[in-house]
Amino acid sequence: MIRTENVTKYFNRGNPDEVIAINDVSIEIKKGDFTVLKGPSGSGKTTLLSLIGCMSRPTSGKVIVENRDVSRLPERFMTEVRRNTFGFIFQQFHLIKGITVSDNVMLPLYPTGIKPSKLRKRAEEILINLGMGSRKDFPVQKLSGGEQQRTAIARALINNPDIILADEPTAHLDTHLSEEFLSIMRNLQQEGKTIVVATHDPLVYEKDCVNLIVEMRDGMVKDIIKKN
Amino acid sequence: MALEKHRNILDYTLQALLRRKFKNIGIILVFTFVIFMLSSILFLSYSLRQEAHLILQDSPEIVVQKMRAGRHELIPINLEKDIRKIPGVSSTEPRYWGYYYDSGAKANYTILGIGTAILKNNRLLNGRMPLPHEKNVAAIGRGIADVRIIKKDIGSTLYLQAADGRWMNFNIIGIFESDSEIITSDLIIISEDDFKILNNMPEGMATDLIVHVSNETEIPTVAKKVKEQFPDSRPILRDEIIRTYDAVFGWRSGLIITLFTGALIAFIILAWDKATGLSAEEKQEIGILKAIGWETSDVLEMKFWEGLVISLTSFISGLILAYVHIFFLGASLFAPALKGWSVIYPDFKLTPFIDFYQIATLTAITIVPYIASTIIPSWKASITDPDTVMRG
Ligand SMILES: Nc1ncnc2c1ncn2[C@@H]1O[C@H](COP(=O)(O)OP(=O)(O)OP(=O)(O)O)[C@@H](O)[C@H]1O
Ligand SMILES: [Mg+2]
Repeated sequence: MIRTENVTKYFNRGNPDEVIAINDVSIEIKKGDFTVLKGPSGSGKTTLLSLIGCMSRPTSGKVIVENRDVSRLPERFMTEVRRNTFGFIFQQFHLIKGITVSDNVMLPLYPTGIKPSKLRKRAEEILINLGMGSRKDFPVQKLSGGEQQRTAIARALINNPDIILADEPTAHLDTHLSEEFLSIMRNLQQEGKTIVVATHDPLVYEKDCVNLIVEMRDGMVKDIIKKN
Repeated sequence: MALEKHRNILDYTLQALLRRKFKNIGIILVFTFVIFMLSSILFLSYSLRQEAHLILQDSPEIVVQKMRAGRHELIPINLEKDIRKIPGVSSTEPRYWGYYYDSGAKANYTILGIGTAILKNNRLLNGRMPLPHEKNVAAIGRGIADVRIIKKDIGSTLYLQAADGRWMNFNIIGIFESDSEIITSDLIIISEDDFKILNNMPEGMATDLIVHVSNETEIPTVAKKVKEQFPDSRPILRDEIIRTYDAVFGWRSGLIITLFTGALIAFIILAWDKATGLSAEEKQEIGILKAIGWETSDVLEMKFWEGLVISLTSFISGLILAYVHIFFLGASLFAPALKGWSVIYPDFKLTPFIDFYQIATLTAITIVPYIASTIIPSWKASITDPDTVMRG
């Protein structure tokens, strides 16, 4: 499903502040895997996640998503892959303030030209599934942290993605809410979705449902642990 | 399908504008004010010019004045028979006119003694004109009727002080109703005979002579001949007058250029601020939109709508306000600057003339740069990789 081949990513290449954020990383993630990218701060988790998710391009190496090399695609096609294949959950949630929960959830599909009424119906279904039905017309800035994250999850699901990418999803949540998040992810995994989470939270990587742990250190893969 | 997409993006843009209500209302207010100033100036100068043209269209091809020591003096009527002999001249007639200073209103009126010449531009006259030898009657402009006459209507009396100090009374038999036309508004028309008495004119003299030339192309030649035969005369061509009006009311006149540049500078500051300042919040929003699947072109389309909605709203409201200001409120904001009229035209109203070419120019120099200044900084933000948003 996802494969990286000798992927390297430099920032500010050729400048004095050059950083090699990802260094020769080759991993493979299968359909239905619950993968954790684990490692200390600065080890390159976020960078790898964004390379997989077509948010940036590697300096060298290949990123292959569903048998397609996406590492050299022009921006339009990268956007298309991103929109059709991935759902993102950001650490800071990154909801758009001042508009309602359901408007936020619908947002990714606005440029596709689906009728707003249809979009809204779909957004509401997802919100109801996540127990957010009663909050759909709330302005997002009035939500609690857990509710904000569920809104972010709903937004990641609006395009019915095969792959869900989450960056430090539990960083701003207490234990109870973290557990809730994980159970949502597990349900999605059972529906057949592939899940990749970047985290250094043991609560996440010690879960049974996690079946692939990629340990990172200084931009390199230090260890790969496969379960079941 | 494709259309829905644009509608969706427009919908979102409107939501986004409402979210930043105060900032956007502020921009719209400044922008509206700029458009209001600019189009007020355009409306005013263009309408004044049009009115001047309209009136001068009916004026004689050549007016011959007599000059002494560089100043305009009375002209002997007997020059007429010599001028008539010049080839190309179809007819001539003497004119009697001057100014009457009204110390009460502190205004100068134009006073015209009517002889054989009948003012052609009389379609706005309510009532009738005095006849050449009719005594103690007058037709006057609406401006004077309002300032000078209590009843303000036909049948009332106008008093003017003659050169010898006596007061003459004139029965009003006609009023130029249009308070819009510059020239007729401050005009008093009396008979030729009354004019001579009022101004103590010597026999055989007129203010100037009108020369009609039937063939347009011969006008300059006739003027030249007049000048040759009577070196102390000055022939004035209608075209010259029109050009003078253009210079006075046109783009280049001082008042207009000052206001115009002022408003333009305000606009440039507005656009510049927009072009340089993309707030952190706006930048992040662009990053988020891109990260969740918007293309660069979608983001730019949103910014285009944003610029269009703001500039169009401002443009239309500025234009409407300017229209009301100039054509309904008599350019009241500019009145102090337009000194000459402010006395006799306390509330003059212009006939609306609009030059669509000027409006198109105004659109080009305001809406287009504004939209550009909205899009360009966002374009810079939206071509960067969306992954930066993951670290925001
Ligand atoms: N846009 C950028 N420009 C320059 N350097 C960058 C940029 N993005 C990331 N880096 C650097 O790349 C390295 C990897 O960063 P990355 O964010 O991927 O680490 P991380 O494992 O996600 O860390 P954390 O746990 O703190 O989120 C870091 O040294 C970081 O400073
Ligand atoms: Mg990170």
